[in-house]
Amino acid sequence: MINTHEKEKKQFKRLFQQQGVDQFDLRFQILEAFLKLEHHVTVDDVLTQLNKDKIKLDKGFVLNSMELLSRFGFASKMEFDDKETQYEHRHLGLHHDHMVCTKCGNIVEFKDEALEKQQLKLADAYGFLMLQHKMEIYGICSRCMKNRDILVSLHKAKPGEKLIVKEFEAGKNMQLRISSMGLRIGDLIEIVSNGFGGQVVIAIGENRLVLGKGMAEKIRVQPFNEAAVEDPATEQESKHSVLSTIMLSQMKTGQEGIIRKVSGEGLLRRRLLEMGINRGSKIYVEKYAPLKDPIELVIKGYHISLRIEEAATIIVENVKYKKR
Amino acid sequence: MRKKITIALAGNPNCGKTTIFNNLTGARQKVGNWPGVTVEKKEGRLKYKEYDLNIVDLPGTYSLTPFSIEEITARDFILNENPDIVINIIDASSLERSLFLAIQIMELGRPALFVLNMADVAEAKGIRIDEKKLSQLLGLPVVFTIGNKNRGIDGLVKEAIEEVNRFDKGKESRDVKYSKEIERCISRVKTRILENNINIDGALRWNAIKLLEDDKIVKNRFQNLSSKASKDIFQTAKECRKRVYDLFEDDFEIVLTDDRYGVIAGIIKETVTNLAIKRIDISRNIDLVLTNRFLGIPVFIFFIWAMFQLSFNLGAYPMEWIDMSISAVCGILDKNLPASMLKDLLLDGVIAGIGSVIIFLPNILILFFCIALFEDTGYMARAAFLMDRVMHTSGLHGKSFIPMLMGFGCSVPAIMATKTLESPKDRILTILMTPFMSCSAKLPVYIVLAGSFFAQKAGTVIFVLYFTGIVIAILSGRLLRAVFFKGQEAPFIMELPPYRMPMLKSLLIHMWDRSKMFLKKMGGVILVGSIIIWALSSFPKSISYSVDFDKQLNEIKYDFSQIIAEASDDKTEELTMQFNLEIKNIENRKELERVSKSYIGQIGKALEPFFAPIGIGWQASVALVTGFVAKEVVVSTMGVLYGVGSDEGNTLGKALKESGMTALSALSMMIFVLLYVPCFATVVTIYRETSAKWAGFNLIYTTMVAWGASFLVYQTGVILGAG
Repeated sequence: MINTHEKEKKQFKRLFQQQGVDQFDLRFQILEAFLKLEHHVTVDDVLTQLNKDKIKLDKGFVLNSMELLSRFGFASKMEFDDKETQYEHRHLGLHHDHMVCTKCGNIVEFKDEALEKQQLKLADAYGFLMLQHKMEIYGICSRCMKNRDILVSLHKAKPGEKLIVKEFEAGKNMQLRISSMGLRIGDLIEIVSNGFGGQVVIAIGENRLVLGKGMAEKIRVQPFNEAAVEDPATEQESKHSVLSTIMLSQMKTGQEGIIRKVSGEGLLRRRLLEMGINRGSKIYVEKYAPLKDPIELVIKGYHISLRIEEAATIIVENVKYKKR
Repeated sequence: MRKKITIALAGNPNCGKTTIFNNLTGARQKVGNWPGVTVEKKEGRLKYKEYDLNIVDLPGTYSLTPFSIEEITARDFILNENPDIVINIIDASSLERSLFLAIQIMELGRPALFVLNMADVAEAKGIRIDEKKLSQLLGLPVVFTIGNKNRGIDGLVKEAIEEVNRFDKGKESRDVKYSKEIERCISRVKTRILENNINIDGALRWNAIKLLEDDKIVKNRFQNLSSKASKDIFQTAKECRKRVYDLFEDDFEIVLTDDRYGVIAGIIKETVTNLAIKRIDISRNIDLVLTNRFLGIPVFIFFIWAMFQLSFNLGAYPMEWIDMSISAVCGILDKNLPASMLKDLLLDGVIAGIGSVIIFLPNILILFFCIALFEDTGYMARAAFLMDRVMHTSGLHGKSFIPMLMGFGCSVPAIMATKTLESPKDRILTILMTPFMSCSAKLPVYIVLAGSFFAQKAGTVIFVLYFTGIVIAILSGRLLRAVFFKGQEAPFIMELPPYRMPMLKSLLIHMWDRSKMFLKKMGGVILVGSIIIWALSSFPKSISYSVDFDKQLNEIKYDFSQIIAEASDDKTEELTMQFNLEIKNIENRKELERVSKSYIGQIGKALEPFFAPIGIGWQASVALVTGFVAKEVVVSTMGVLYGVGSDEGNTLGKALKESGMTALSALSMMIFVLLYVPCFATVVTIYRETSAKWAGFNLIYTTMVAWGASFLVYQTGVILGAG
């Protein structure tokens, strides 16, 4: 690192002198202070470092200098959501991206060759020449996640967060009401918005539900970690199960799934719902008829047959083989 | 003074409702149709202590949504006829789904009683239901029964009467509470109805819900009560629907359905304990064979084959007896009655007409017994499951397969078997297609014609005819579906109920119910029809014959008596035969002229120009017209008209060839016979099962198809030089 820093300083001298930038020495001191600092720094951070080195400089001047450093490629200027502008060292030829914790503000640098290549490929696919790119991922860092209570009340969840419903801390009446709204334990939900007088709007699949504050407080949820599910180490089945929803007609004999959605038009849809084929119910494919149509299914403990075209209107998830 | 109580039995299909109904009423039941629709209505009576119970079996439904005739019928009966109590039969082994209908029945606000039937099956499945708690939660009595063992039936009647009395003393049914938003909508609409002073005999909450569900029938009812007030109420309902849609992004009725299942889930949680005893699922094991990927269809074909074997082979004996008794009766009457027109009417009209239909009774009884067996065991649903893919190509339901297949035997029982189809569209379509399946009465016609003109290839020709019939049926199905039954096909969604041991009593009741309808028809329309056709073929009485046949006969008789007197004894026999032959010859010629000059013959001749383009001469035209009575008659009429007397296939074939009929016109005629107007009995059956409109349509449509197909074949043949 020292070597690179030395190299940077030499280049700085050459460039700034060539360009005839004024107050060269002072600006050099700012560079030195900046290079002493690691990671992402604000102008204030640089000022503090300068103070430590017993150099008194005006903030406006420092700001002006940091801009110049950015211009000549010694620093990268970063503007994250609702935060002060930050700078980081810029080492030519060495690129990295950032993850920003929305809770503690911590910024994590990361580099992924595959991702870089993918970006180039993507730009290429659109016939786009990529000159520069910025990749910023917002979320909650591992430290904050660890500190966080695993089960939280729904009303504390943040918009965009994906959660799994774990329990209802409510009396029977409330439980009944919650389940009658179509919200069940084990459902994967996404927070659409939170606020507006404590109202929480959630999405289950393609359905929105509005929960009052009182109700939201009583629903305990757990953050849903998509990455963990995607981990290749986990079983292939479970990978398939949570992520992908498929049509009932794509299920194979001996598979069981959970109904996510019943689409289709009026009469058929209502009929299906009335026969107990509703969201959240488990459905098992008993067999296909010898001529491949219709399908025999088991739902709510009884057997029912549907044509393929009707089964195609039913979206299922969590599909896996099950012994009966 | 005995008190009268009307009880309505409601429940899902396959919940054992019919068994309970049969147990309650025994043979004291009346089967008919609900007014205006072809849904079977069953009523029965029962005396219990000081009460006269009238029990009405409502059609089996999964819901009271007014989408199918069954549901509308059931709902209207409960709402309009005000039964004293609704007994909802619930299959205890699938409580969750059954409660969906149960909750809707509760909502109607009438006294109700829940019967957990097949309690033993539930027990075997490891399901234990706390009936006291269920009764508490729902606010109405709950009893257990085991229908097929006749257990718990007395308790059911007793509890039903007590519940009626409780309501008389002021008990009210409990409301099912839904989620806040839904309840808010319901109370808004309720208030609006009350404000507008609309009188809807109680059932306020139910009506409010139906308005919110945008139920057309209920809306119409409101409209009729007061169009001004209903506008106001509809507006409120519309606003509520919109609000629910905004909140849940779905229609009110869908949200409510979800809500209902939510309530049900709650009830189930409270009342059902699942003892996880894994029992062997017998039904599933049976299905491993019966709906197996490889075995399923062969087994099904075997069952159907067995059914036909049984009904036609076993049925052949009683048919023979009936035939013999009819002949015996005819013989006796013939001898004892003086010759008069009344005698002709009785013998050739009434007895011959009814005889030609009653002869099928044994077939029909056995076929219906087999079908009842298929239905009661649960195999019918499997048959539909297996064949749906095939039937779907012509826009039909899998269950249509059996009636169509029966069409090869006789269209009359086949059309009556369409009662097993739930959707009226499917039923009409199947009925219209069935006559194209070549029935057994058409076979004699093919045998004579194909046998005479195609000799070695007769078998192939007959097979092609049968096949053509099937193809035309499928094409017609597609065409009619596209023209008359446009729009959505009824969803296939069909329960595959567990296999059950059938009860002989139920089988016999089912068989008899349907056969009775068949017999009733003969007393009515078929009798009248037979008389009309008899009249057409025997009038006018005074025909001026071109030759004086009577004189000829007398001359021959005179000649013969002279010859026989002169001849030696050993020649008498030979002479007698010769004499008989000549007499017969003259009589045939007389009959030929009589028939051709009778009204039916005149009709045939008048139709000659119609038949000319398809290569059919006037004799054959007359034969085809008489074929309307029954297809077998085509052969006997041709026998008469070609002057060979009836029942003589070989000589008839010769006569046909001599008369100048070609192989091509024979083929054209066979195709016409295959496709044209079904027999009189069939048309009447179509009329009974559908309407005059469809029966009339069938007459026109089949004639058009038959003529078109024959024309195509005949003219193509002529162009190719085969004529």
